[in-house]
Amino acid sequence: MVIDQNLIVLNLKSNRKEEVIKELAELAFAQGKITSVNDYVQTVLDREKLFTTGVGNGIAIPHGKTDSVKESMMVFAKLNQQIEWESLDGKPVDLVFLLGVPEKDANDLHLQILSRISRKLMDDTFVDKLRRSQTKDEVMDILNSI
Amino acid sequence: MKIVAVTACPTGIAHTYMAAEALERAAKSLGYSIKVETQGSIGIENKISQKEANEADLVIFAADVAVKEENRFKDKAIFRVEAQKVIKNAKAVIEEAVNQLKNK
Repeated sequence: MVIDQNLIVLNLKSNRKEEVIKELAELAFAQGKITSVNDYVQTVLDREKLFTTGVGNGIAIPHGKTDSVKESMMVFAKLNQQIEWESLDGKPVDLVFLLGVPEKDANDLHLQILSRISRKLMDDTFVDKLRRSQTKDEVMDILNSI
Repeated sequence: MKIVAVTACPTGIAHTYMAAEALERAAKSLGYSIKVETQGSIGIENKISQKEANEADLVIFAADVAVKEENRFKDKAIFRVEAQKVIKNAKAVIEEAVNQLKNK
């Protein structure tokens, strides 16, 4: 599944963008979603260099398209502290959606779920709900409601 | 005011769709009708037909990569902007595009 309880982290302690990406990639690796942490992280960081993925409103959506991703996936993390992400609105980030898709994903449904989540990030009510959520079950309910 | 827009970004996973949503929300709040085509990892969705392209008052490309089938809009003035600028403030982008149109 694209949305997976094991890919949700509450209270992440990392306070640097690169550390956050690496830590979440390691979680994806542990869950068998990616085959190489190094390759995936490098792809994500290369993408970061093109344009920031700090899209404003405290949200970052780092992402990478590479064959070291087995199937499309999303890791969601709430950070313990707001961190710098060179955001479009200049504000620090406390919600991170790390997305990964393979070069060729035959499953359009996965991509559609990711695209729907991306769209919902423009919805302040949705974002507020995620920010207020306290448990993984709550996060799952919110993400599955879209 | 009839607006058509195309959104696209390098990976086609996130910004394409966020920009589309931002444009739809902003147009609605400004009282304009809009159709937004996304050119992302899923391919082309909500495709703008030749007829819709012809009838549009305003064409916006919120794209960081080349737009596919751009010749649909060959007789139109196109307002080009980075996808991230639309995500940041779609309302300002639409207002700027409309003003430019009026001053022509």
